[in-house]
Amino acid sequence: MFLNLVNWLDDRFGWRAVWEAIFLRKIPHVNWFYTLGSATLFLAIIQIVTGILLTLYYVPTPDHAYDSVVYISTVLPAGWFIRGLHHWGASAMVVVTAAHLLRVFFYGAYKYPREATWITGVFLFLIVIGFGFTGYLLPWDQKAYWATTVGTHIAGVAPVVGEWMLRIARGGDELSAVTLARFFGTHIWVLPAALVTLILMHLYLVIRIGITAVPSRKEE
Amino acid sequence: MDKSQEGKMGRRDFMKATIAAISGVIGAAIGLPAIAYVIGPALQKETDEWIRVGSVNKVEVNIPSLFKTVIEKQTGWINAEEEFSVYVLTTNGRDFVVMSNICTHLGCRVRWVADKDGFYCPCHNGVFAKDGSVVSGPPPRSLDRFESKVEDGILFVKRG
Repeated sequence: MFLNLVNWLDDRFGWRAVWEAIFLRKIPHVNWFYTLGSATLFLAIIQIVTGILLTLYYVPTPDHAYDSVVYISTVLPAGWFIRGLHHWGASAMVVVTAAHLLRVFFYGAYKYPREATWITGVFLFLIVIGFGFTGYLLPWDQKAYWATTVGTHIAGVAPVVGEWMLRIARGGDELSAVTLARFFGTHIWVLPAALVTLILMHLYLVIRIGITAVPSRKEE
Repeated sequence: MDKSQEGKMGRRDFMKATIAAISGVIGAAIGLPAIAYVIGPALQKETDEWIRVGSVNKVEVNIPSLFKTVIEKQTGWINAEEEFSVYVLTTNGRDFVVMSNICTHLGCRVRWVADKDGFYCPCHNGVFAKDGSVVSGPPPRSLDRFESKVEDGILFVKRG
């Protein structure tokens, strides 16, 4: 009965072939460094789930942002846990993504025919940095405020376009309600859309082209 | 696929079961707190408290009188001020009936119209009599009543 239903669905969706392509594909004999990509994906999923949960209560306005964060951390059941996962997951995300990138770099795994996988990966790394930068402002406490003052100021020292980039980042001369709102919008809409799109491309390429073996000096 | 004869678990099946178990534990570790996190505010009950409504001297005999008061309320992260209104009716100047001004149909505010001797709801034409009983329209029951008390000529109602 149940098996009939499963077969009926597979007949329509063909998900068994998809499942096999993803999880039963052939891979070379590899080592533990090759799990860094999956670890990054796992962290990304944790960040997406906890981030969505945080938006249920967080409000991106200067008069209530900090209060809503305090409410999440101190009043809501398990709020400290959800926020804690998102907070520490963010740091872990940067570390693990960088480690994954270094593994690919030092193993020379970015070479032909995997250049596109590498390029989407580099953009993903930039997106992760963007998440960290925009997310850091959202609690709207002293640390967030001054870190973003400094961060946007760094953009401002770039020659020629610096002033212009600073004003775009802040939405004006100074950090304001506009800055908080645009950082929030970027953090929960722009970057996630880019992240998910690029992750799908990245995974498609990993599955289509396959992964490299551990490089060795021997001629094979 | 693999050599799991004689009911013995093969390596592939063992890995499958282990991965499923670990995924289940991680899913529960996040899913269960997430449920508590989402429904948390819904479980908070409003505390019963006596609300000072006003002086009973202002209540005219046999005419429902509207009393408005502002109460402070902590909603989430905002300390909001909320307007609280009730209609007070007395037939003898000593006993007071305190009625909610919220229509029992779908929650709009009813208004006492003296000319027509009734409470009228603007949303779906619900009409209530002076004592709060339904005269016509869709409301399923009379206007809700609050427990009340008078102390030194001041009327208090209990909001529950």
